[in-house]
Amino acid sequence: MYVIEIIILAAVVTTLRVFGVILLSITSGWLLSYAAIKSKIFENIYVPLMEIFESVPVISFFPIVLILFVNAIGGILGVELAADFLVFTAVVWNIWMGEYQAYKTVPNEMIEVGENYNFTLAEKLKYIYIPFSIPRLAANLFPSFADAFFYITVSEVFSIGAHQYETFGIGSIIVYFYSRNQITYVHYSLLVMAIIISISVYLLREFSKYAVAKYTIDTDAPILRRGRINLRQTTRVISSITVTPLSRLARYYRFRNNIPEEEVFEKEEKKYEWIKYIPGVIAILIFIVLIYYSVKLIVSIPMATWNYLFSITPFIILNMLFDYIRIAIIAIVSLIFAILLGYYLAMRKRGEGILVPIIQTFSAFPPPIYFPIVFGISYPFVLHYFGFLTTEIYVLAIGFVSTFYYVLYSFWMGFKAFPGEYFDVMENFQMNFFQKLRYVILPGTFPYLISGITSTINSAWGGLMIGEYWPDIIGDKSLEVKVGLMKYISQATLQGNIEIAAWSSFIFSIVVVLYSLFFTKKLMDLASKKYVAEEGIYAA
Amino acid sequence: MSLNENIHKDQINEIMRVENLNFTYENGYKVFENINLSINENKFVSVIGRSGIGKSTFLRLLGGFLKPDSGNIYLRNRRITKPNPQIVLIHQSIVTFPWMTAFENVKISLKSKNLTEEEENYRARKALEMVGLQGFEDLYPKEMSGGMRQRISIARALAAEPLMLLMDEPFAHLDELTAEGLRQDIFNILFNLETNLKAVVLVSHNLTEVLELSDEIFILNNMPATIVAKIEVNLPRPRNPRSEEFNRMLDQLYTYLGSSSNIRG
Repeated sequence: MYVIEIIILAAVVTTLRVFGVILLSITSGWLLSYAAIKSKIFENIYVPLMEIFESVPVISFFPIVLILFVNAIGGILGVELAADFLVFTAVVWNIWMGEYQAYKTVPNEMIEVGENYNFTLAEKLKYIYIPFSIPRLAANLFPSFADAFFYITVSEVFSIGAHQYETFGIGSIIVYFYSRNQITYVHYSLLVMAIIISISVYLLREFSKYAVAKYTIDTDAPILRRGRINLRQTTRVISSITVTPLSRLARYYRFRNNIPEEEVFEKEEKKYEWIKYIPGVIAILIFIVLIYYSVKLIVSIPMATWNYLFSITPFIILNMLFDYIRIAIIAIVSLIFAILLGYYLAMRKRGEGILVPIIQTFSAFPPPIYFPIVFGISYPFVLHYFGFLTTEIYVLAIGFVSTFYYVLYSFWMGFKAFPGEYFDVMENFQMNFFQKLRYVILPGTFPYLISGITSTINSAWGGLMIGEYWPDIIGDKSLEVKVGLMKYISQATLQGNIEIAAWSSFIFSIVVVLYSLFFTKKLMDLASKKYVAEEGIYAA
Repeated sequence: MSLNENIHKDQINEIMRVENLNFTYENGYKVFENINLSINENKFVSVIGRSGIGKSTFLRLLGGFLKPDSGNIYLRNRRITKPNPQIVLIHQSIVTFPWMTAFENVKISLKSKNLTEEEENYRARKALEMVGLQGFEDLYPKEMSGGMRQRISIARALAAEPLMLLMDEPFAHLDELTAEGLRQDIFNILFNLETNLKAVVLVSHNLTEVLELSDEIFILNNMPATIVAKIEVNLPRPRNPRSEEFNRMLDQLYTYLGSSSNIRG
């Protein structure tokens, strides 16, 4: 039996899925972003939709996506597409948003050069927009990569009712080995994945360095950077560490306004004027189709089912409340961890060079494939020390390892981007660690912290989804919390109660969107108005 | 008795001494070699030199922000090993904290002193008054002009009651009118009888500014740089840049810089 070969093949297949999905997100984003900057109608639909979908944790799509693909398409293709689509939804918003932001911030001078030489659409994309978007894409690649691995390993095997669906890949064969208690093969699989992820992280780091060195516009500002790093080099550092929150943050900086093109040859231009309405019309059509199918779905569900779903809604909200407490704990622990480790990384160059690649590799290593081993080894100790809290400790731990890196990268990046003069002032007035944190570092990194925490919270739901209800995690042991919405959704899906799973996801999405609109966005607005450290340096 | 007379009647005590200072950048480029100088109390001292010679680096060494390869810097006979509030650096890029009001920006320099809240408030208010920002305490830096922001950073420095100020091109990012206004005020603000300040070291490439403000001028040159000359400026204050005497001295400075460049060549 060629077990090792099969493991390697499975790891390669999974990695190809990840890169394929990321590539698809990137290429589609280039075109959609161009449509968005050219058509106001398309932009007004595209951007808010991205913001909403980005703020909804991917895990809430899970049951709906499964039903759609497994029922509508079916077979191997349906399962494959379901898995790929889940990963796509995990990475795409971030990438699309980054590209859109890059397109919106292309300097006018560059656009004018393109216009001056009558560039075609393909030429504009090739010579101006796409190169300009590369550094930001590079910055988004690491978290997208980590997210994609997390969700691909979860979605390669899933159950709906009595049916288990699976598609070949490292996630599915590891589940197979665990179920047959072939732990040695699990170890081999983890080792192969570790090698592949390390190589991928290395390649991505190299790509980031190359992308930033080649494609970043020289915008040195007269701001001192710590250790005499100038803005360009800082950007290089940023890209090599990369974070999702960067793109969130970046959207709060000024965008270039769409300037109506001055038409010198009016008649000639008018011939093609209708073209610019195409993206808008397509967007409206998609919107109408979505509305149509939503209404159709609502009408197709019997009244009795609706009554039942309404009656369980308070229970769903109560479960969600418990999950929000877990999320809050994970977020606070991640925040403290991020501040302490981020501070160390930013202050110690040598530590940074060693620790950052390790953290990057670790964060890309999907917890669903190694967590059962950790659970198996540590269970007796955790049970001994934490007693009835054991399950909660594990759920919080899996939430933490799935998500801590967002706020860590974010804080560290904010701290690295600090004007060097601030370090001088803190040293000059001999502020102690807590004074530095309270008066300078935390306010100065506030925008980064908010965006990091937001991403951490969104991703922590994924950790809870797998941690709250994990039957037969290893051997005959299971992980199951008493109360929790993610467990409720998982169980409903497993038992084939798709209406309940979908309704719970829907309620959950609404709460998450409201939370994002009324809390995160407000904090972000505050951060961008008051807490932008670079604005504290006045250099005419 | 004018302020200037008051300052110069004081007995002359050395406040800072630099001995055999050598410094090399991380990339191996040797910036300074065997620099020796002495700065006396109640002196406004400037350091000039061609662009890129290491003037700002020199200030950072004086403040303890950088560690020399060898040699020592003493402030009142105590060796400087790290930055401290007795010797405060004012940056070329004007540094304020945008999330704090002018008042809070000044108070930040007092945090390590373990003062009571009332004492902190008193000192911050007094420092803001000294720089002419009374009435603007509650404004945020973004609501202020560049000149006002630089006054905040000077007030922040003065509130810490330093013995020495290091000013790195403090007027470089201000428009000419604002810079001239602040230059005219700066000497009186800094050597106000209410401050503990004993000396100022200014780094600038603007020779008119240097001549307008300084009692002594050190000229840096060569590669690696050394002090090639020290010029005493005995023009009466306030100085008039249009006066014949002033311009004669300015010409001398230019000549000196030019000839010291030749030494290098």
